[in-house]
Amino acid sequence: MRSFRLAVRLARRNLRRRPAQAALLLLTLTLATGMFGVGMALYGSADGPWDRVWAATDGFHVSAAYYRGRDADRADVDLDAARARFAELAAAPEVRAVGGPWTHLYGLLDVAGGTEDLTAEIRDLGRSPVDQPLVTAGSWLSAGSDGVVLEQGLADALDVGPGDTIRVQGHQLAVRGVAMTVSRGRFPLSRPAQIWITPTTGEALRRIGLTEEGLEMQLRLHDPDDAEAFATAHEAIEGRGETSALFLDTWRRRRADSHSDIDILAGTVFAAGTLIGLLTVATAAVIVGGRMAAQTRQIGTLKAVGVTPRQVVLALLVENLALAGLATLVGLGAGRMVAPRLAEVSQTVLGRPETPTLTWGRAAVVAGVAAAVVVLATVRPAVRGLRHSTVRSLASGARPPRGPGHRTRWAATAGLPLVAVLGLRSARRRPARLLTNAVGLSLAVALIVVAAGLRPSLNRLAAVGSAPAQPGEALSAGAVDHLYEAVRAIVLGTAGLLLVLATVNALIIAALAARDSARNHATLRALGATPRQTVATLIVSQLGACLLAVALGLPLGLGLWSVMDGGDLPPVPVPATTLLAIAAVVPLGFAALVAVPARRWARRPPARVLTYE
Amino acid sequence: MSAPGGRPVVEATGLTRIYAADGVAVRAVDGVDLAVEAGETVSVMGPSGCGKSSLLHLLGGLDRADAGEIVLDGRRVEGLSETSWAVLRRRTIGFVFQSFNLVDELTAVENVELPALLVGASARRARHRAVELLERLGVADRRDHMPDRLSGGESQRVAVARALINDPLLILADEPTGNLDSRATGEILRLFADLRASGQSLLVVTHDARVASTADRLLTMRDGAVIGHTHLGGVAPVGSVLAGLADFGDAGGAR
Repeated sequence: MRSFRLAVRLARRNLRRRPAQAALLLLTLTLATGMFGVGMALYGSADGPWDRVWAATDGFHVSAAYYRGRDADRADVDLDAARARFAELAAAPEVRAVGGPWTHLYGLLDVAGGTEDLTAEIRDLGRSPVDQPLVTAGSWLSAGSDGVVLEQGLADALDVGPGDTIRVQGHQLAVRGVAMTVSRGRFPLSRPAQIWITPTTGEALRRIGLTEEGLEMQLRLHDPDDAEAFATAHEAIEGRGETSALFLDTWRRRRADSHSDIDILAGTVFAAGTLIGLLTVATAAVIVGGRMAAQTRQIGTLKAVGVTPRQVVLALLVENLALAGLATLVGLGAGRMVAPRLAEVSQTVLGRPETPTLTWGRAAVVAGVAAAVVVLATVRPAVRGLRHSTVRSLASGARPPRGPGHRTRWAATAGLPLVAVLGLRSARRRPARLLTNAVGLSLAVALIVVAAGLRPSLNRLAAVGSAPAQPGEALSAGAVDHLYEAVRAIVLGTAGLLLVLATVNALIIAALAARDSARNHATLRALGATPRQTVATLIVSQLGACLLAVALGLPLGLGLWSVMDGGDLPPVPVPATTLLAIAAVVPLGFAALVAVPARRWARRPPARVLTYE
Repeated sequence: MSAPGGRPVVEATGLTRIYAADGVAVRAVDGVDLAVEAGETVSVMGPSGCGKSSLLHLLGGLDRADAGEIVLDGRRVEGLSETSWAVLRRRTIGFVFQSFNLVDELTAVENVELPALLVGASARRARHRAVELLERLGVADRRDHMPDRLSGGESQRVAVARALINDPLLILADEPTGNLDSRATGEILRLFADLRASGQSLLVVTHDARVASTADRLLTMRDGAVIGHTHLGGVAPVGSVLAGLADFGDAGGAR
């Protein structure tokens, strides 16, 4: 307990002494935990509304559907055979209640600019024991009314409600109500558009040319958890031909599919969070590594006054885990605030997305990410400090290189400018830091490449969306544009964030390198090197990391992009000119960043550096 | 190596440097007048914190004076930019520091040749001259060693070689024996005596009476000001002069 109290005191003092570093570490950790928090909150945000609608509508446990091609004569399975198979299913002992089978008519809805494919489901009058749509406006079908009930997504897309009218193949129908059900996803991501009609209206629509397209039957079992086993046991009745299909689906599968757009968003956010998490490890490692000299000296001091190695490690861990804990809280909070707003773009959620209950498991995942980052970044200086003798720890400074190395010897004899030779020598001083910097920067470069590919790809998609709609898609064309917009915003935002983090990394590394080299550079100036030459030396010493990052980041980015455009996005190769521009601009920008702390040190009188540093 | 026309290689008038410490102004160098003639060796002694090193830094352009004039090789230099100072230092001044200040990323010979490369000498010529100097100073066998593999005496001899490589007008040495044991101090003393004999202008800040005794003149400083000026002629017994310094109770390093 005394050890812990001492560790807490030391950690508090360290945090107070280095508030900027602590704030930076907290910020980067929070970005990572925030992204994970958002991702997790998004994943669950559609389930609550779906479950409520499922319960309110006596939603199905197993759904049986039969569809056939528009040319009824060519169906592989005929309608009578389908009805017989449905009857066989309905008679199964596991079945507690049956809804349907309901006939589906296919037709075209007249909308501004053309037509939209439409399914009209003929419902019996009265409440169905299974899958009775939840009316959100107006009223359900009733005897003596030729009105129709519109699926919620369709009503929203048409911006119509009870009292309005729609036209199906020229025939005007009054809108009686608006409803939603889990057996049918929301239009326009779920196509064709759906309306519910009475048998009388069905007859009228048949007369104007609507054709029978299929059947649907919804079943409730005694135990909903048996749905998967039931579907497997009866899969023999399924049939998939070229022109018709009969298949079974379970409520769990449909529930998982019900928020596909949110899943895509959440997946994108998770991927972004992982990349940011990786870069956060790099940032944390750089910050902690930069404090290594001071920390090692502190460890030496603590050991000299009798503090045990265990207490020293505990102090380091307490300090950084406190930051991780704070980052977890902020990240989870941010996730709960941001996720519902992001989920609002969804066109699949039944009703309003809501933040799922925060479980210990979810909190543990986010806390685990933050803790893993700081533990990874803390272990090395702690172990190093403990391994060194107390005297060596106390005398700790920038580690001198063991020798000039073959490459830098070659550089000297190859006639490279003096600053280049000096810079290459400096680069050998901190190889681990150089590598960490390179990895961090390469992630940012990779995301820039992805962003460079994503932009024209989404533009092409938008161009497709703005092209004249195909017959029967006048209303649903471009339905996924909003999703791609959201994905684009997340990817571009992440690329921007990674760029900011990489910039911060580069600045920290440059500042640490400038501090490490300050004495040598002051000596160089005493010998006649100009401030500009010392700045150039520092830039050369750090440029290797940037060039390595470009070399790693470009293929990594192209690889990531090839994975992404292998999905639903139009494949657009990243232009070679863009890659060349990235390869040129990143090192230039990096050099400009490194020059900032280098100039600051170069402005100091050498005497002061030689005396006090 | 010497300034033409017998003029001082460096001349300072009313040189003043004020540091602010915790809001209190400390006059580290307080109106110092000083001249070092060509071929002359001048020692500066004084208690710790009297401003000896600060004076040296001002004369070499490593720090900026708050007031006063510096004429180096006949040229007013106190208003020069950092870059101009750097370029001027390359040919006119060689520094020797108490803590050697060898660039720890370079080998001994690379440290020595560095100033020559900075003035634009070819790599071959710079290396040849550096090796020559290391041989002269007796550390040629350590030429390819990194600084952390050199002893204190070896490091200081490398630092002296580095200071000499461009045949500077003036060598400014700040406590050159401050970090050395008695044997290494003896080596450096012989070296400085050789330099003086060769006509090299030297300004040496030191605590060591033996080093000070090799000078032509001895300046004593206190509280930033020069309070004593003694001609030694480089061979005078300095015991009497040093006795006057005893009351400073000086045992620390230079400021």
